[in-house]
Formats: sequence, structure tokens, C-alpha cells
Amino acid sequence: MDDKADVWQGTLALMVLKTLETLGPLHGYGIARRIEQTSAHHLSLNYGTLYPALLKLEQEGYVTSEWGVSDNNRKAKFYRLTRAGRKQLDKEAREWERTTAILARFLTPGEEAP
Amino acid sequence: MRALRAWLLRLGASVTGRAKPGDVADELSSHLALHIDDNLRAGMTPDEARRAAMLKLGGLAQTAESIHEQRGLPFFDTLRQDLVYAVRVLRRNRAFTATAVVTFALGVGATSAIFSIVNAILLRPLPLAEPSQLVMIFATEARRSLQFDGVSYPAFIDWQAQNRSFESMAAFANRDLPIGTSDEVVVARGKVVSANLFDVVGVQPAIGHAFRDWRPQSPDVVVLSDGFWKRHFGGSPSAIGQTVRIDERPHTIVGVMPARFTLDGDSEDYFQPLGVDTNRGRGFLRTVGRLRRGVTLEQARDDMSAIARRLEQLYPGSHKGVGANLVPMGDAVARRVRMGLLTIMSVVGVVLLIACANVASLMLARGATRQQELALRAALGAGRLRLVRQLLTESAVIAAAGGALGLLVAHWTASALAAAVADQFRVPGIESVRTDRMVLLFTICVSAAAGLGCGVAPAFASLSKDPNDRLREASRSATGRRAPRARRGLVIAETALALALLVGGGTLIRTFLKLRATPPGFNSASMIKADLSLPLPSFSQLDTRVAFYQPALQRVRALPGVRAAAFVSILPLNNRNNTESFHIVGKPDPSPDRGYSAVFNVASAGYFRMMGIPIRGGREFEERDAAGAPDVAVINEAAARAFWPGESPLGRQIILPLNKDVSQTVTVVGVVGDVRQASLGIAPRPEVAVNAMQTRLLGSSVTIVARTDGDPKALAESLRAALHSANPLVPISRLTTVDDVVSRSIVEPRLYATLLGAFALLALVLACVGLYGLIAYSVSQRRHEFGVRVALGAAQSAIVRLVVGEGLHLAAAGVGIGLVVAVAATRLLVGLVVGVEPQDPVTFAAVTLVLVGAALLATYIPARRAAAVDPIAALRDE
Repeated sequence: MDDKADVWQGTLALMVLKTLETLGPLHGYGIARRIEQTSAHHLSLNYGTLYPALLKLEQEGYVTSEWGVSDNNRKAKFYRLTRAGRKQLDKEAREWERTTAILARFLTPGEEAP
Repeated sequence: MRALRAWLLRLGASVTGRAKPGDVADELSSHLALHIDDNLRAGMTPDEARRAAMLKLGGLAQTAESIHEQRGLPFFDTLRQDLVYAVRVLRRNRAFTATAVVTFALGVGATSAIFSIVNAILLRPLPLAEPSQLVMIFATEARRSLQFDGVSYPAFIDWQAQNRSFESMAAFANRDLPIGTSDEVVVARGKVVSANLFDVVGVQPAIGHAFRDWRPQSPDVVVLSDGFWKRHFGGSPSAIGQTVRIDERPHTIVGVMPARFTLDGDSEDYFQPLGVDTNRGRGFLRTVGRLRRGVTLEQARDDMSAIARRLEQLYPGSHKGVGANLVPMGDAVARRVRMGLLTIMSVVGVVLLIACANVASLMLARGATRQQELALRAALGAGRLRLVRQLLTESAVIAAAGGALGLLVAHWTASALAAAVADQFRVPGIESVRTDRMVLLFTICVSAAAGLGCGVAPAFASLSKDPNDRLREASRSATGRRAPRARRGLVIAETALALALLVGGGTLIRTFLKLRATPPGFNSASMIKADLSLPLPSFSQLDTRVAFYQPALQRVRALPGVRAAAFVSILPLNNRNNTESFHIVGKPDPSPDRGYSAVFNVASAGYFRMMGIPIRGGREFEERDAAGAPDVAVINEAAARAFWPGESPLGRQIILPLNKDVSQTVTVVGVVGDVRQASLGIAPRPEVAVNAMQTRLLGSSVTIVARTDGDPKALAESLRAALHSANPLVPISRLTTVDDVVSRSIVEPRLYATLLGAFALLALVLACVGLYGLIAYSVSQRRHEFGVRVALGAAQSAIVRLVVGEGLHLAAAGVGIGLVVAVAATRLLVGLVVGVEPQDPVTFAAVTLVLVGAALLATYIPARRAAAVDPIAALRDE
């Protein structure tokens, strides 16, 4: 696992958490599709990488999983946000906003501090 | 926190191995099904839909693998696999595993057992406050080469006032006195202590208080030990304020110390405040100081030496050549056993080394027989480090099993050993030998280090060659190949170490046997003795003492079964040194400032005959040598030789200084045989005995001895009753047989001989197992060669000679190295036991014979097997 993957893993986790917050309990495939749609297909997600990320979130206690039945009657494992996951989502979202704001200031010319 | 939780979950998954692969597969196939459904709805053909879904997932197997990696911890997953594999391999090779584990357990067990004793006695802190800051300060005297001498009261006050290194300094001395409670009088072990002592060591009485407000004119007070308080006052707090009579003077009990408190390991009964003593020549105090923060022991040493030099100039008479010796309190308390313990600790360390060499040698042998397996695995792509890791896991399993078994061995033997020696060795801590956390930690560390030590080299050695070569080689039987050099080296080293230990053990056993065979100079059989301690106030006058001793002796003599009885102030073999100086009438003193010196003793009529000490000339004390008759003395042969060489001492006169102004002149009337005064290992010294009825040297403590008709033990109670009826206020102690006195005097040499002998034997057995293993292995490797030899007409005896020769070759190399080591090592034993003769040729020769004999036996068995090889079978195997 090199540095690039780590960053990717971090943002992927954030996207997963956000998706679960917006849509409620959802299976892995649904999460993957939703992420692709939300990014307006700018992100091409290798679906396979989603599952280790989900397992890690589950080990950290941010999501729980449960077998259930999908809309079109397929057996599927549904992931649900826990209370700790909600808190983590708030925290990470705020951090992400701050980071992007700082970077934006660096990258936007002519907007240096007066 | 979250990260830790996740890590623990993953660790748990690795350890239990429950990866639930079904779950992963289900989830992935459900994912694919959902995706395919969508693709079909988008209008793809079933084949396309499936292919696209698979493509998007990024490979089913890879995804499952990456989920699996996230579920557990890869490191521990591998570890678990290796462990499972190792246990399976080890279970398949029962003989190898059992030998390795038992060998390992013996080595680790012996080491841990001795460590738990070392831990209890040397390492565990004393029951005092911050004991590491406490230092004992002894006086040294260059002239008599004393290192642990006492200091006088005035010198202690000087030390206390002038030093700049100690926060506080206290002094104490032993004082065993008769102590009377309401119901009985006993001899108690007591200490006089300076009033600040309990503050210096930082322990206060559990109930009551110490001597803080005590001044030399204050009324007599005493602090009792917890044990004495419980024995004589039933542990009742009302004891505070009551009185006990110490040496007949009433003392008020002001405090009771906490349980298990001891100052320097004596089990004290009571503590009394130390009074002023103005005699600068009477060094009877031991001193303890608490170092100031930041002051090192070295600085304190310099400080105290400077003070000692100043005192030397001020008082040349009493302080000439007197220095100060600073020893950390913990070391000082265990001084007597420190060297012995460390010696035995190093001995078991060597035993452990031998055990490790054995296990390593076994592993090398196994590594060799597993060449093919390892080569195959390497060829299939296992990395070298991966294989080393797996082999190391195997040795770790052996080490863990051996270490656990060793801990059990240590747990049993250490407590048994400690219990066996506890009453002979009064060392603080020996009663608390147990398997505590330190011992556990030590065992784990030793097992880990030893496991690694005997695993690493064989693991790398098994993999040193190119896998291609190994594959090719392993498929052929090794012909004419001898055991590899590494194993031969290990066996030689083992033999050398075992020989050195055997020489050490043999030397101590011989020393002990020699001690036991040493005639003490008297006949100890059928005798019983008891020590009497007269309370001084009632018996301060000589005639009152005589008035007690005489009728007491009559009562003992009248007991049925007693053939004779006498008393003496110092019985032989008591380790006391009562040297006094005297003058000889008509002979000039050997030097102007001091007279002749000899051991002084006081004995009653018939003592020498009763003890079975031969009378060489003149006569011994008789009843007619009473007060008023001419004062007489009996000397031993050593004294006759030393003071009257070539002439008869009979009729000569000796002047004994009794104190500053009074002296007594006695006439020598007899010469008797020498006895060992101090111990069996110390040659007799010149001795002068004075008649008990005629001398003020007859003190307040004597030993009464009786020769009996039958078993002396049977007389113990009637002897006690007779003495008690003579005067119930005189306490009796150490009532036992004289045989017991003799055997107790060699308890230490016997213990060291037993321990070292046992460990040396263990080392011998381990070394022989190692040798046997090597030769047996070599025979199995050379089966084909032996078959060819037999087929070509070699006689069986020639084959046996060949194999035994190989073994003896190794043993001889080991013996050669071992002898050199032993020459150096036995010198270390000299300080351990009195009377050790290092480099005793008899021991060296005997031990070498034993080792070579054992080596012969160890090689003869596989040699017979080699000779019995059926040539046809051996060649067909090819």
C-alpha cells in the first residue's frame, strides 16, 4: 500500500460514509454506483477496492453490516452508518473542507492575504 | 482508539483463523448478480453483462484476497500457518521433539530454579524504605586484614558528625541476652540500636513508637519484633507498657515492629537503645547510613576514607591502619552467600549452554534430513527468509514448550531446595523463594534467547546452498560423509564444558569428603550439649557463677544414662575466634607491643577425657584443682610446638592479662591432642585452656557437654529438666547432639558439593546425549559405506573401532579444551569453600576417566548398530 492508495482510501471512506448518510442502509454495489453517479462519472471506481474499505470501516465501528434482500429480490449485504460513523463523517467532512479551502487559496492567483 | 479496536479485531481474526471465506464469496457473487442485472437491463447480452461486471470489479480472486488481507493481519496469518505447520511437523517426529523439549526444559529449568533463589536473596529489595540508598559502613584493619570489622562508639559518633555524604547514619550491634517474660526465661536474639536507627532505615514500629525521645538517662525501654510479640504476648496490643526482664532488668515495651522486619537478616527478637560507650578500642558496632541524594557510592567512599585518615592521626593508638569499607546494604546482608549463589548461577548457565548446543545439534541434523523438503519448497518459490522464518517458528515452538516445562521444573525444585536449606542458611529472603513475576519474565527471556540461539544458525545452515544442488544431493544417499563440521564443533564444545563442570563438582565433592573424613580431634559420638547463658546482674561475681555451675553439673552427672559431664566455654567447631594475647614467664615477648597469642578456653575437670581428646603429656584438670589450689592450665600440642619448641612445656608458667591491672599466672600441667577449633577445614591453632574453678575468665555463657550410654537424643529432655531445676532463671539454648554440631559445621561445603555435583552430572548426561546423537546420525548417514566395507570383508570389530574412534576423537578434543578451562575455573572455587585444593590431580584424572567412559558408552551403542549393518540390505537401499 503506497501513499497514493492511502489518500484514495481515505477519501473513499469519506464518500462511503456520506453515501450511507444520504441514502440510508445500502449494499456494496449500490454504494459503488452512487459514488460514480455523484461524481458525474468523473471518478472511475474499481468496484473491488470498495470491499476492503467497507471491511475497514466496519472494523473501526463506523458501519455495521447485515444480510438482507435488495429491491429486485437479490440477497445482499447491507451497510448501515453507526452513530460513531456519523460523528466521524462530520469530522472528516470538516477537515476536508478546511484542507480544500487552504489549497484553494494557494492555487487561486491574486487572492493572497491583504 | 478506533485504530486500536480495528487492529485488535484483525489480530483476533488472525489468531482464531476464522476468515469466513464463504461470507466474502457470497457478498462478491451478490455484487456481481446485482451488476449483471443492471447490465442486462441496459441491453447487454448475458455474456457481455457478466464480462463487464467482472471487469469493473477488478478480478474476483484479487478482490477476495484484498478483503482477506484487510480482515486479518498478514504477519499473524503467516505466523499462524507456520505454527500449525510446525506443530504438525514436530508431532510427526516425536522422538526428535521429545528429546529437544526435555533437553531444553532441563537447561531452562535448572537456570530458572537457581534464578528464583538469586532473585529472592540478592535481587528482591530489603523490607526497608528505599533500600538502594542504604549503605553499610564497616571498619577495615590492614594489620589483621579485616574487611568487615565493627567500629567503636566514639568512632561512630565521629563518622556521624564529620561525614558529608549521608543524610543520616545509625549503628547497631548484636546482643543476645536472657529475656524473661511473666512465664519463662529464654535467650533472645537482640540488637542494641542507636535511637535514630528506625528513622534511618525508614521503618517504624507497627504499634507503639521507637526510641525517638530516648536519652541515655531515660528509663529502660525495648521494642519487640512481631515474632517475639506473637509468641510471648499472643499478639495483644496490651503488651505496650508491660515490662520484660532483659538480663534481669525491667524494660518497658514501647513498640512492636511490623511483621517480616529484619535489619540484616537475623531474625531479631527485640531492639534496645544503644548506650554511650567511651572505649575507642572496642569496635563492636555495625553502621548503616542513608546516602544523600545525588551522592554516589564512590564519593561517599572518598569522604569516609578521608575521615578515617584524620582519625588515624588523632588517635594513633586505636585507629592505626583502620579504614572504612562501604558496601550497599543489600550486598552486605547477602555477603555470605553472594559468591556461592553467583557461582552456582554461572554453573547452571553453562548447563543451559550445553542444553542449547544439544538442541542446536539436533536441529542441524534434522535440517540435513529435511534438505529435500526445503529444496522443493524453495524451488516452488518460497523465499529464503520465508523458509528461515518457518524454521525459526519451529524452534520457537520447541523453546516455548521447553520453557514452559522448565518453568514447572524450576517451580518445584526451587521451593524444595530453599526449604531444604532454609534452617541452615539464615539468609533473609530464602523463606520467600517463589515463582514470581521476575522469575517468569526471566524464564521467558532465557527461553526466547536460547530458542533463537539454537534456531538461527541451523535455519540458515539448512538453506545455505543453492536449491538446485540441494535437490540433486538430497536425492542421493550421502556416501562416506561424516557429520558436518558445525555439529562436531558443538559436540566438542559441550564435552569441554561438561568436563570443566565435572572437575568443579569433583573438586567440591572431594573437598567435602576430605572435610568429612577429617578427624575433629575428639570423639563426637554419644554426646549431647546445651548452651547456658547466665543473666549478668545475678551472676556478675565469679563465685556466684561457680555456685551455679557446680551443682548444675552434679545434677547432670546424676542423670541415669550419663557417663560423664563437664563444661567448657567454647566447644570445638563453633566458628568463634577467641584469640587472646599472653606472656610466658622467663621468655621475652615476641615483639615489644604485643605478647604471644593463642585461642583461650575455659574447661572443667574431666573435660578432655570425656571429649575423647588424648592426653599427650602430664595430666588434665582434676577435681583437686579447686579454688585455692595452684592455678593450672592445659595446652594443646600446637601450643607446645609453637611456644616451647624442643622442650617440655610441663611446669612452665603463663601470665594471662585479665584486664588492665589484673593478671593471672597459671602453670601448665598437661598437653592434650589438637582439636579443630573453628571448623574442620581450618588447621588447629595453639590453644590454652584454664581451669574453670580457678579463673575469672569463666564467663556467663558456657556449654555443658555430657557423654551418654545410649542414644544421646533420648537424654535431651531430662538434661533440660535437670538444668532448669538447678536454676529456672537460666535460659538453655541450642540443645543438640555433638554429632549434629559436627555435621552442621560442614553444611555449606556439603550443599555446594551436592549442587555442583548434581549440575555437573546433568551436564555429563547432556553432553553424552549430544555425542550419542551425533554418532548415531553419522552411522545412519554412512550405512551404505559400512555395507560396502562389510561386503569387502571388514570385520565387525573393525567397524566398531572405526565408529568409536570417531566419537573418542571428538571426546578427546573436548577433554583437552575442557582441562584448560577447568584449570582456570577451579581457582574460582577457592574462595567458596574452606579447604578447596584447586588443580587436584586426582580429581582431574578421575573426572577425565568418567567422561571418557561415558563417551565410550555413548558411541559404542551406535557403533554396534553400524557393525550389524546387513551389507545386502544396505546396498539394495541405494
